[in-house]
Amino acid sequence: MHQYRMYWAFTRKAFLRSAVYRFDVWSRLGSNLIFLLMWGSIWTALYAGREEAGGVSFEAMLTYIVVSQFLSGINGAGTPLWEIQEKVRTGDIAIELMRPFNVPLRYLFADFGSVAFYIITALLPLYIVLFIFMDLTVPASWLTWVYFIAAAFNGFLIRYCIEMAFGLLSFFLVETGGIEDIFYFAMSLLSGSVIPLWFFPDWLEKIAVYLPFQGIYYIPNAIFIGEIFGGEILFSIGIQLFWVIACFFLLRFVWNRASHKVIVQGG
Amino acid sequence: MPILKYVDLYFKLVSAGIRAQFQYRFAFFMRIIGLITAYSGTAITMWVMLYRFQELGSWSFFEMLFLFAIAILSWGFCIILFFHFRSLDTYIINGTFDRFLVRPINPFFHFMAMRFDVASFGQFIFSILIFIWVSFEINIGWTFGKVLFLFASIIGGILIQGGLLVLISALAFWTTKSEQFYWVAMYPARNLTNYPLVIYPKIVQWFTAFVVPFGFVNYFPAAVILEKETPFFPAYIGYFSPLVGLVFFMIAYWIWMLGLSRYKSTGS
Repeated sequence: MHQYRMYWAFTRKAFLRSAVYRFDVWSRLGSNLIFLLMWGSIWTALYAGREEAGGVSFEAMLTYIVVSQFLSGINGAGTPLWEIQEKVRTGDIAIELMRPFNVPLRYLFADFGSVAFYIITALLPLYIVLFIFMDLTVPASWLTWVYFIAAAFNGFLIRYCIEMAFGLLSFFLVETGGIEDIFYFAMSLLSGSVIPLWFFPDWLEKIAVYLPFQGIYYIPNAIFIGEIFGGEILFSIGIQLFWVIACFFLLRFVWNRASHKVIVQGG
Repeated sequence: MPILKYVDLYFKLVSAGIRAQFQYRFAFFMRIIGLITAYSGTAITMWVMLYRFQELGSWSFFEMLFLFAIAILSWGFCIILFFHFRSLDTYIINGTFDRFLVRPINPFFHFMAMRFDVASFGQFIFSILIFIWVSFEINIGWTFGKVLFLFASIIGGILIQGGLLVLISALAFWTTKSEQFYWVAMYPARNLTNYPLVIYPKIVQWFTAFVVPFGFVNYFPAAVILEKETPFFPAYIGYFSPLVGLVFFMIAYWIWMLGLSRYKSTGS
């Protein structure tokens, strides 16, 4: 219990720290909006005036993109990966290793703080306005909202664990260039962040459902617009939980190996 | 001839930079592979997107690839010449910018020749492969005139995007911030132009034609070469791309020099 109080302190500090760098918050919101404009326009043009495509109405598809952009705002609000990689490269990470906390958990809790600040001051006001002025679908039952929030939270955890585990590879490889680009591409496409899985070619969809990425955007988005409904919701959240646990252990494994490596090198 | 002297000096300065980068050959190849995979990723996303829908605002997959490749090719040159302009703020804050002022050459030129990023070979390889592939897949009807026009519009695209980088860097003279403006404004805006502008709201199209002339980088020229319609704009508008680039770059250069004249060292 005492331990968690310590981690919450990081959350609180990160929240306050974000409040100081308000320019960052606003600028991030600006670029989030431009990408929303881009994907909104792309899907409007793809539907080209049709009421529905592949059994999904235009309104639902547009909602999917808006929700996805909202979630990607959340997922991008934490400590950027390059900042941690830079600490590895300069050896500053050694100081963190000496302190009595688990470093990946410490960054996760700090992210909760900066994400909370970003949601409250920037994302939520903007997206509430968007939902008022655009023709979008909103879940009718409060239970769907609960499922959506749970799924979005799970998605955040999956993304955090995978991204961090991946970022820690820089402990082993000096240059992660090419692999990193493949990783980010896979994450953006296979998570369904910009194209929902049901529009994929069948073979690609089959691959995507067996990967953890779909839990980040596709599952919460699809729950929100009602494409995943009924008993399927709990099943999908179950899949997410499986991936949260699996990715968490992956992160722990990579972290243990990586910190060991630092000790060997002497930082 | 001062211009010849500057050209000679430019090659001397950059060849030193190139030799330095080739010392890290593994890093160099990894970065090129990284760039090519990142761009291929965008191309694959386009393919998946059009798998069920066939076309986006009357543009087919291969036409979109062509549009994308023009943007990447001019961006590759832009990275070589101007990409480091975005981090002028770091130089000003650290006080290292002053060394560009104490030498007997134009500071703009000196700053420009300071870096030469060889990883932009990634952009060249990617875009040239795409040009070849697309030429086999769709009938572009290449003529000598079209090839010439492609080159001219690439130069236009370099000048427009370079001008924008110069403008962003000039902001550092007034606000001591520039890098951030790149990531907030220009990076997402460049992403917008990977897709045909016709899909965006009219005001955005108008903005990218006449305010920040991104439309002249790839959309208007590609429409001319592929003989596609550009709704709301006359079909010949693409031919103005080199001229627009030249004018835009001159304005950007002028603003940069204006900023320079009121620059005061931070003294640190």
